[in-house]
Amino acid sequence: MISVIRPITYALLMVFSLSALGDGASSQATHEFTLDNGLKVIVREDHRAPVVVSQLWYRVGSSFETSGRTGLSHLLEHMMFKGSARLGPGEASRILRELGAEENAFTSDDYTAYYQVLARDRLAVALELEADRMASLRLPTEEFVRELEVVKEERRLRTDDRPNVLAFERFKTLAYPASGYRNPTIGWMHDLDRMQVEDVQDWYQRWYAPNNATLVIVGDVTVDEVRTLTQRYFAPIPRRATPEARRPLELAEPGERRLTLEVRTQLPSLLMAFNTPSLTSTENTRAVHALRLLSALLDGGYSARLATRLERGEELVASANAGYDADTRGDSLFILTATPNVQKQRTLEEVEAGIWRELEALKTTPPSPEELARVRAQVIAELVYERDSITQQASVIGQLESIGLSWRLMDEELAAISAVTPEDIQQAARTYFTRSRLTTAHVLPLEKAAHDQ
Amino acid sequence: MTSKNFLLTSLFCALWGIGISGSVLAESQTPPALESLRNLNAEAPTRRALNIQRWQTAEGARVLFVEAHELPMFDLRLTFAAGSSRDGTLPGLALMTNALLNEGVADKDATAIAQTFEGLGAQFSNGAYRDMALVSLRSLSATEQREPALALFQQVVSQPSFPADALERIRNQLLAGLEQQKQNPAKLASLELFSRLYGQHPYSIPTEGTFESLPRIDEAQVRQFHQQGYAAGNLVIALVGDLQRSEAEQIAAQLSAVLPKGPALPALPEPQAPVAGRYQVEYPSQQTHVLMAQLGIRRTDPDYAALYLGNQILGGGGFGTRLMEEVREKRGLTYGIYSRFSPMDAPGPFSISVQTRAEQTEGTLALIQKLVQDYLAEGPTQEELDRNQREITGSFPLSTASNADIAGQISNIGFYNLPSSFLEDFTRQIQQLTVQQVKEAMQRHLSPEQFVIVTAGPKVAQQPLPEPSADAPKAEPLGVPEH
Repeated sequence: MISVIRPITYALLMVFSLSALGDGASSQATHEFTLDNGLKVIVREDHRAPVVVSQLWYRVGSSFETSGRTGLSHLLEHMMFKGSARLGPGEASRILRELGAEENAFTSDDYTAYYQVLARDRLAVALELEADRMASLRLPTEEFVRELEVVKEERRLRTDDRPNVLAFERFKTLAYPASGYRNPTIGWMHDLDRMQVEDVQDWYQRWYAPNNATLVIVGDVTVDEVRTLTQRYFAPIPRRATPEARRPLELAEPGERRLTLEVRTQLPSLLMAFNTPSLTSTENTRAVHALRLLSALLDGGYSARLATRLERGEELVASANAGYDADTRGDSLFILTATPNVQKQRTLEEVEAGIWRELEALKTTPPSPEELARVRAQVIAELVYERDSITQQASVIGQLESIGLSWRLMDEELAAISAVTPEDIQQAARTYFTRSRLTTAHVLPLEKAAHDQ
Repeated sequence: MTSKNFLLTSLFCALWGIGISGSVLAESQTPPALESLRNLNAEAPTRRALNIQRWQTAEGARVLFVEAHELPMFDLRLTFAAGSSRDGTLPGLALMTNALLNEGVADKDATAIAQTFEGLGAQFSNGAYRDMALVSLRSLSATEQREPALALFQQVVSQPSFPADALERIRNQLLAGLEQQKQNPAKLASLELFSRLYGQHPYSIPTEGTFESLPRIDEAQVRQFHQQGYAAGNLVIALVGDLQRSEAEQIAAQLSAVLPKGPALPALPEPQAPVAGRYQVEYPSQQTHVLMAQLGIRRTDPDYAALYLGNQILGGGGFGTRLMEEVREKRGLTYGIYSRFSPMDAPGPFSISVQTRAEQTEGTLALIQKLVQDYLAEGPTQEELDRNQREITGSFPLSTASNADIAGQISNIGFYNLPSSFLEDFTRQIQQLTVQQVKEAMQRHLSPEQFVIVTAGPKVAQQPLPEPSADAPKAEPLGVPEH
């Protein structure tokens, strides 16, 4: 139901190791094992409160979908609440609710995940229910027909009636010319219109196997308890062959692309994206870490460059943001967005030029040690704050595992990121902030006349 | 507040109905009980132990403190009774004052302030709502981070310099925000609703200000608002984390001593009963946003527990509520429908919100009105009551799982002058409620004829609703244990 949009600082969370934080903040005990059927289980102990989160991550999402069948992963996620061999539609949710559990699910382009947060003594119920729907989803046609209408309402609510979201959906089709990352996770309306229950059945059969999933459990549990429970509920589910999942790769330098969109918005805005690799799609991970630092230098807080120079200094923008997601299954984008300060009569062209000035500055002048020290201080603190939330801890682990990396990368990355020099950052800016990798969109308000059609 | 809303939203996003269709019924036997449920211990779950320590500073700030040494960090959350209900004739004044706190102090501009916090790994945040203005700090607890972060935080809250250029910039950003609201039918509906519901009462004031009011706000007015609204006597301090009692006392005392001197602001007036009616906001969207509301309760109302439970059953609990079942699960009319009491300092609204394809608006609205009317007339069933009582007991441990959760809970307890045992009292009261008590409480506060209804969307020809799917059997085959 939720397309995961991570905060821009997210990429930094994994940058430094917990072990760097000293005795007071040593990492919680984390265990890993794999059942005979291929289900990988990761358990992190956190005994502060008698609660636990269980997240089951399937390695399938909208980037796996083919033309004509977009929205399939998300629709399957909805149908996973509609009953299994042992339970009627909605019954699992009713049971969980009655136990006081918080449950949800989310679909992104790389994965689909289901979770429950509940009192520690109820974990077995969450696992039995999750195993049941992994093994025996029912998919009644009548439920499918109604649920499809719910998903279309969701699309109207979250995309069609939100002009800036709609614009970004169009923008992505241009920024990703070659890979499945261009697919909207909720699906095109014309694909939803012709979706069949057989499509969902087929998608479920193809991808929802124990050997294509990771179970992450964080909270007041021991690994032995979890071993016993997963052995009981998940081990009987047979391993199944799943198709080979190919990484969504892009053209390194597709050429400059420009788009003008008129939508029912009040204020114009600028979207820019550079095609870049991610941690999984290049050997040159040093460049990837440099891109992370570039994102932090531009937008890692109210003292970062975009807010300091463009928002407060020149008063060129009402707001400006930068973001880079290094933790994807395939190639990625470095994204910049901005809204001009219209009260000061600033135009999109001026904003675009202003952003380019900042990008060029990163190419010509290496960042100062003080600036990098601020970024590092935030990252180290974030790693402590993150541990206040069992859900956040589980999400970091689940995401890394789902894109084909190990959760242990958190620990190993410290050395890599520390090795990034100011010159590496400068080099990354020169390599990636080029016209041949760039997509730019001007999002403009519809003319007033068209407004009242 | 934010985390609570987030929780509700995420809950609301995922929850799904019971409605077993006729065809499924025909082929299914009674499902076998889940093994894990059979084995479940029938006792109520425990939660993280909370020892809420409470005191007042010399200047009258109320302090609530919970020690938590597991992580080397702490949260400091200040809640001032300085929300937009104190704006008077200048809508947006509370928000602008709050937003300007970290824009300048005597020796630092906004950039220097941000550089100092961020260089320490500290997180500063602020926000203004109807009842309250919040200012928060999250920091590592080691002395070398804690002390400079707290020193700057104190300065920012107590001696902001309100620089003229920052005031202009924030004003422009708020004006840009108002422009953005014009493309948001949900927001347009909400503005119309609060205006109709509260008339001349301060809750009708839009927190974000208006095109008319924002240009009128000047530095003198902001200073005056700060002097009164951010006075020590108008403040609740919540502290959670890796601190000793003596350290917490010192933090509260120092902070309180440098704030403007002054008492708590007077209580808000009582709102007049609104006139029921139907209002339309024309908007060229695909969906129509429907909001219906009437006056609800104060946070301290003795019926709080009964109404909380009554609303959970009607439409507060997401999955399995009457509204979600009938409107989404059986008919596929919407992505979500939700009802809520928003208990506030003065009586806050009871409201129902839903979005549906514009052609289905009238049918959906009539369906909801019928469901509410029936529920108010008949009250919940015993089975609904039992299920929801179990849910509230079971979710109790989640309410205080993290430091952030605890900070939110004790801030509310302090702000609304609730007893420290509030969470336990509330859970106990919920368990003792009967069907009759819930029904009577709902009837005391709500009437099916009293709704102010706002719809935001296009005028289009209406279609009849689809036939609903068959009812689910009422049996409870799985036997969730009592506790």
